[in-house]
Amino acid sequence: MIIKYLKKYWVFALLSPLFMIGEVTVDLMQPKLMSKIVDYGVLGGDMNVVAATGIQMLILVLLGTIAGSSSGAAASVACMSFSNDLRKDVFDKIMHLSFEQTDKFTTGSLVTRLSNDITAVQELVNVLIRMIFRSGVMFIGGIVMTLMINIKFAFILIIILPVQLLIIYTFLNRAAPLFSKVQEKLDKVNSVVQENVSGMRVIKAYVREDYEINRFDAANGDLMSTNLRVQKLLASLMPVMTFIMNAAVIAIIYTGGVNVRAGSMQVGDIMASVTYITMILMSMMMVGMVFQTVTRARASMKRLNEVLYSAPAVAGEDTPDKEEKKGSVVFENVSFSYPQGSGETTLHDINLRINPGETVAILGATGSGKSSLVNLIPRFYDVTEGNVYVDGKNVKDYDPLTLRKKLGVVLQKSELFAGTVSENIRWGKEDASFEEVEQAARFAQAEEFILKFNNKYDTMIEEKGASLSGGQKQRISIARAVIKKPEILILDDSTSALDLSTEARLQKSVRENLPDTTVIMIAQRVASVMRADKIIVLEDGTIAAEGTHDELMKTSGVYRDIYDSQLKKEVV
Amino acid sequence: MAAKNDNAPNPAMNFRKGPPGQRMAMPVEKPKNMRRTLKRLISYIGRSRSIFFVLMATMTAITACSLISPSLQGFAIDAITITEGHLQIEFDKFLKMLTLLGVSYALTSVLTYSQVLLSAKLSQTTVYTMRNDLFSKMVRLPIKYTDTHQHGDIMSRMTNDVENISNTVSQSIGSLLSSGLTVTGTVIIMLIRSPILTLVSMTSIALTLIATNIMSKYMRKYFKRQQVILGRVNGHAEENITGYKTVAAFSKEDKACMEFRRLSDELRICGIKAATLGGCMGPIMNTIGNIGFLLIAAAGGALALRGAISVGTIQTFIIYAKQFSRPISEIANQFAQIQTAVAGAERVFEIMDENPEKDEGTAGNIDVKGAISFENITFSYKEGEPVLRDFNLEIKPGEKVALVGATGSGKTTVVNLLTRFYDTDGGSIKIDGVDINDIKKDELRKNIAIVLQDTVLFSDSIRSNILYGRLDAEESEVKRAAQVSNAHSFICRLPEGYDTVLTEGGGNLSQGERQLLSITRAVLADPKILILDEATSSVDTRTELHIQKAMIALMKNRTSIIIAHRLSTIQDADIIVVLDGGRIKEAGSHDELIEKRGSYYNLYKSQFAGNAT
Repeated sequence: MIIKYLKKYWVFALLSPLFMIGEVTVDLMQPKLMSKIVDYGVLGGDMNVVAATGIQMLILVLLGTIAGSSSGAAASVACMSFSNDLRKDVFDKIMHLSFEQTDKFTTGSLVTRLSNDITAVQELVNVLIRMIFRSGVMFIGGIVMTLMINIKFAFILIIILPVQLLIIYTFLNRAAPLFSKVQEKLDKVNSVVQENVSGMRVIKAYVREDYEINRFDAANGDLMSTNLRVQKLLASLMPVMTFIMNAAVIAIIYTGGVNVRAGSMQVGDIMASVTYITMILMSMMMVGMVFQTVTRARASMKRLNEVLYSAPAVAGEDTPDKEEKKGSVVFENVSFSYPQGSGETTLHDINLRINPGETVAILGATGSGKSSLVNLIPRFYDVTEGNVYVDGKNVKDYDPLTLRKKLGVVLQKSELFAGTVSENIRWGKEDASFEEVEQAARFAQAEEFILKFNNKYDTMIEEKGASLSGGQKQRISIARAVIKKPEILILDDSTSALDLSTEARLQKSVRENLPDTTVIMIAQRVASVMRADKIIVLEDGTIAAEGTHDELMKTSGVYRDIYDSQLKKEVV
Repeated sequence: MAAKNDNAPNPAMNFRKGPPGQRMAMPVEKPKNMRRTLKRLISYIGRSRSIFFVLMATMTAITACSLISPSLQGFAIDAITITEGHLQIEFDKFLKMLTLLGVSYALTSVLTYSQVLLSAKLSQTTVYTMRNDLFSKMVRLPIKYTDTHQHGDIMSRMTNDVENISNTVSQSIGSLLSSGLTVTGTVIIMLIRSPILTLVSMTSIALTLIATNIMSKYMRKYFKRQQVILGRVNGHAEENITGYKTVAAFSKEDKACMEFRRLSDELRICGIKAATLGGCMGPIMNTIGNIGFLLIAAAGGALALRGAISVGTIQTFIIYAKQFSRPISEIANQFAQIQTAVAGAERVFEIMDENPEKDEGTAGNIDVKGAISFENITFSYKEGEPVLRDFNLEIKPGEKVALVGATGSGKTTVVNLLTRFYDTDGGSIKIDGVDINDIKKDELRKNIAIVLQDTVLFSDSIRSNILYGRLDAEESEVKRAAQVSNAHSFICRLPEGYDTVLTEGGGNLSQGERQLLSITRAVLADPKILILDEATSSVDTRTELHIQKAMIALMKNRTSIIIAHRLSTIQDADIIVVLDGGRIKEAGSHDELIEKRGSYYNLYKSQFAGNAT
């Protein structure tokens, strides 16, 4: 994945380490020059050497800075462009996932993937570009330089390096599982808080404040002790590493000292070697850090790949429409079960014909399959068996965009977007004039309350309409669907928050103003559906009864049951 | 969306010093009252005073060790260097110095280990206490607080802000302390060894300071902008992903993608600028460090020529100068981090400073019979917008009262006042003739059970959820309560029965089942007064039938207040109260009100026929 997305920016990705090599080379040459200054300049008493080498060094350092900054710039171009492309692709993919796929991922997890996971991978790329090369060059360069000074230092390296590597490895191995454990405990703490914040009324009503405090204390204490365990492990790493590093330094100085006494080495060489060995060991610590980033990013990458490689929803090809009169819906032997469901069929063998211009109401208990039935029309989900036809053509033979253009769907949960009221209504038809917006609001019985807002149609809707009542949100969503002048209007229990008289007015105005539109509505209240041309009663995924109110009162026991439960007494 | 979990403690931070610039990537938030909040934060840390002082001592020792080590190194080198003032190699001294160096290094390692442990302990205990305090405070706040504050915001204070403080305590305070000590110690030793070279080193330090200052100012600007754009990108994504059904229904996928691309590109440009700037920081610091080295070498060389100092001193200074630039830029970084944490602490303290629920009641252990009277109640949530005006209602023990009316007519407010979730502005509410303000809140609420529209279930077993009604209930009582409420049969059908663990919010149960559980809870609590606030409105009518049976069983022998917008639920009530604009419009039994042909009659008719009145 990294390679795929980084390919486009390979120039930058490559430039960065190249510049980096420049920078590191300067870093590596420095101690050598330094020892020259000390040995020949200071000890040799030649200030000219100090000046000449000093200028040399200064130029080098300047070059190093330029190289380092360029390396950083190239790395950030590569890294940011990488994550930008990745982010766009992931979002694109998410937007085109089928509903089943979105349900499977859950929207919350998709949002986290898009934000946190991409950041984690981006961080990895950044670290890879910057650190791997840097530490690699430092590591190898440091070894070469040390050995060049005196081959006798080799045995120190041979002992120290494997020990360091082993320590890093064992440490990472032990730390990784603990990190995820901390996350787990933190989730638990969060979930207790979440439950308390949203369930405050019940907690207070049952006087359970102390109980909850204890519950929280348990989760919180658990988090603390797990955290301490991690810290304990971490606490040991750094001192051990530095101790070994310092031991190496002492060894170098000692060996150096012995050699100086024997006259086979110069003092400046010892100082340079100390610097190099520090460099080598630092580069190893850096590698340890890189590994940590890799561990964390690997999980993120996996999660992103899951999204990127999920099979796209199959889009049908558009074939010419068949029927003249538009707005018919036919269900033919339709069975359906949710792909992630327990395997239970949600709908069995549904046969239903809805004619253009009809108003059809669907009634039934929760879980009887009402929403599932209408979800098949815009092809939010695909039938398991049978066929659904809109205007005489199988929905699978439509380009989903063409199909959905015909439909106006108002969902159970009305989702509004950040923007003004009129922008939200205009969502249904982008080029709608202001008159059209007003008209749609009027049809949806929303005009009255919109005009009461301070900024009328320009009122900002924030936080998904948190400032609006449920009924207001529903009416704005209906206006948004009505402005499309759809062939088929689907209202999925979308008037539940309205009082009955408003609902009745709304139904009437939709009927009058959109006479040719087929209306399919799901409702809970008998009173809402009584005047539909056809009422369909769903029970356990099958059509239990079908007909007008009067017919059903005579023929359907289920319908009468519902009717009685809601309106127990006689007609007044 | 759940609070961002990626702010989980990042233990890697503890041994991580780079990559350059990353630490500054956080936008700095300016706290409103830095000094006061900081003081208060310190008082929190001060609770673990002993740990804190041991930590201080350890750190001083570490700093001392790390300061001595370069000197020892210098002495060692000196011992084997032949200069004019120093004519022969003193190998014994060399070995002695090396041994001392080894001891110092070993000591440093041991001390560092205990320092990290101690500061972890300190930060974890601080955070633990702070979280506990915050949570205890939170559950004691009046309902008004949770009603008027965004839940996400409260959550984020609890997690992100506290986490931030924890990181600061464990890292910033420690490194600030050791940086400060290092700087002071280094300066002292440097001065002792060679005042002139110290002056030379100071030049490079001044350069470091100036550079850090200028750079971080620019960087902060860019990082702040980056943060803003990032917020927009995430906001757009969140909105469109959670609203994916609507997006699909209106075929807006491509439009959403286009907008996202635009925002994402913007983020890229801004990100490149910010990161490039951040990336320059390291090399520039490096350069300054090198310039410092050259200065020291040149000046040191000149001095050594004159025999004013030894080569070992030069070596020592070179190491010190290196040691110096790090703590200085560290202090600058930490300051930004501390500011962010203090701003977080401010938000945490804000909750802690809220006034808890008032409870001036004294009457405890009252034997409630269940008579309730509302006398001349007035109440408003927002000043100038009264919700209840001159509300009077008398309820006899065991009566069923239904409150009916449009949204906003004040039905739920009546309940909020009776349970003292809110306090009245005027008038008094009495239970069995005792003003509820004189009853202990706990005692009052123990006598009232509420079943709400939105069921509140906890991610725990079904048994624990029912036991919530009465913690000391026995198993047989739990089962009996479930039988009364009709929940027993569905619980038994679950694979693990009463031990079935609910997912968050009871997501693995149907809405109807969830409601049955909350009714069971109320049955177990066995209160004298029962409130059903729209308890069945999110359940379809057939399920409602089932629940209604449970509710009838529950209401038996209790004073019940029922709020519903479905008239079918309330027809059997003893008194139906029709509320309109905060006043009682009419009251009476179903038959009386139908007879009267007033607003209840109209409501009833419209419910039935769907006709506008």
